Amino acid sequence: MLEFVQLLVNALAIGCIYAVIALSFEIAYEATGVVNFATGQLVTVGAFVGASAIAYGHGNMPVSYAMTIAAMAAVGLAFFVTVYLPLRGKSVVTIVIGTVAAGIAIQNVSQLVWGPLPAVVASPFGGRILHLSKTAIPFHSIFVIATAVILMGCIWLLLYRTPLGKQFRAVAQDPEVAMLMGIRVWRLHGVTWILVAVLAGIAGLLLSPIWFIDVSMGDALALDAFAAAVIGGFGSIPGAICGGVLVGLCEILGAAYISSAYKDALVFLLMIGFLLLRPQGIFGERIGDRG
Amino acid sequence: MTSGPGKIAAYVVGALILLSLPYGISSYGLRVLDLSLISAIAVIGLCFAFGYAGLLHLGQAAFVGIGAYASALLAARFGLGFWVTMPCALVIAAIAAIIVGVPMLRLRGHYLALATVGLNVTTEIVAKNWESVTGGEDGLSAIPTIGIGAFRFDSDLRFFYLMLAMLAIVIAIGLAIRHSRFGRAMIAVRDDELACGASGVFALRTKVLAFTIAAVFGALSGALYAHYANYISPSDFDFVHSIAYLVMLIVGGETSMIGAIGGAILIGFAPEMLRFVGEAYLAVFGIGVIVILVLMPEGIVGTLSRLWRSRVARHV
Repeated sequence: MLEFVQLLVNALAIGCIYAVIALSFEIAYEATGVVNFATGQLVTVGAFVGASAIAYGHGNMPVSYAMTIAAMAAVGLAFFVTVYLPLRGKSVVTIVIGTVAAGIAIQNVSQLVWGPLPAVVASPFGGRILHLSKTAIPFHSIFVIATAVILMGCIWLLLYRTPLGKQFRAVAQDPEVAMLMGIRVWRLHGVTWILVAVLAGIAGLLLSPIWFIDVSMGDALALDAFAAAVIGGFGSIPGAICGGVLVGLCEILGAAYISSAYKDALVFLLMIGFLLLRPQGIFGERIGDRG
Repeated sequence: MTSGPGKIAAYVVGALILLSLPYGISSYGLRVLDLSLISAIAVIGLCFAFGYAGLLHLGQAAFVGIGAYASALLAARFGLGFWVTMPCALVIAAIAAIIVGVPMLRLRGHYLALATVGLNVTTEIVAKNWESVTGGEDGLSAIPTIGIGAFRFDSDLRFFYLMLAMLAIVIAIGLAIRHSRFGRAMIAVRDDELACGASGVFALRTKVLAFTIAAVFGALSGALYAHYANYISPSDFDFVHSIAYLVMLIVGGETSMIGAIGGAILIGFAPEMLRFVGEAYLAVFGIGVIVILVLMPEGIVGTLSRLWRSRVARHV
């Protein structure tokens, strides 16, 4: 039972990280129509930029984190200019292949910069552990869950309670009409990609003290986040959280009680199950186009 | 595409180029060429699923792997020859494609893409962990080479000519399917699924058929690979290979089987052509793919034939 509680907290933490990645993926899709297959690689870049910033920051965590987020904003802007603008308006497959190719290139550049060896990064809380009766819960897990929930809340406020959010949703619904209404669609798309990269970067930062990070982890992460997005319901923030937590639970509990080798296959089965039985996901999709 | 004599001439020219390819390249180059032609068969399969039926299929390597493992295991366990194990492998892949295709092909667009990625990753996980059958990460070795009677296709040159014969058969079958009722149905489903349903074409059935044809060609490619390389492991059939097949198809032009071969050879030799960039190979490759996607949306073959046609038009 004690073990179960610890696993549960662990699963929640991992699930929250998947939720943040899923949100990055969904914002890109909703606002710009791009299915971003380079999401996982952006998370990897975030994790490694964070590792470097922490190494140079001499333990000043807030500064290191702020530097990482600023760097990821620059990465997002670069992605917007070099990948999104050339691929804008092309067919779905062109965009899929284009972002996959961008992911391959980003992964290779990451390997050239940071090397192929896995790295371990300190948490802002070190290895401190919270003892509740007999269960031991790492502070970092609580930090991850709190950060993810607050972040999701902020994104929700941004999208539904600010003029900028209104513009976002207008562009997501119909870019042409939005343009006719005087919304600067181009600028908004630029902001979207910055947000996409920053979210991926935060996910990388939160992840790096939990796992060994290595430059080839992107695809596996992205698949789990895609599964979370599908399960929760595309384009829904509560959906991303629910989907992420379900995937986290499926993975951690599946690895503990069924088979650690087949944990990713379990996630895939869960996703296929949802696609077949409840294709709109837990929280549904407003614009249904998946048939 | 031009029709009649023009098309036949194009095939003859293509065949002549292929026949003369082994001369004037190094023995290593010949090996790369053989591997490219093996990939080309999987790419031609993908031409049906993606090019004709419009399915965003990112899991072709899974079926290449199923074909390779099935053929290799049948050869190892029962001592059967390639000409027995290969058809069995194709049947196994077809059954697998129907079983996963019927539920999965109800999905569209990027949902289908995600599901096929998941399929590819899951197959890889099974190949890695079902050690008693697949040998796990170590893979399977000592897979026998292909032979007819006492004759073995055991050199790269001999295998090259075997591949040409195989490709000729594959293209003949491919063209027959393409110009049959089923081929037209696939293109109709790609262009307008709703109208298809209204005119009596069962969209799902047609998609499953296209997916299964892709799987069978993929499995043929896999079986040939297993018996050519004599060794297979799960990493030969990972997601990266599925992407490579799709890139080969798009570089060649999505709906052209000759283009598929051209794309497979071009991408097959890309590591050699880009050797000078050293460790940055994948970065250059990724950027190169984006550049091709942006500048030549019809693929290299499509772009060349358009340029050729406009030249001819100017001179007439």
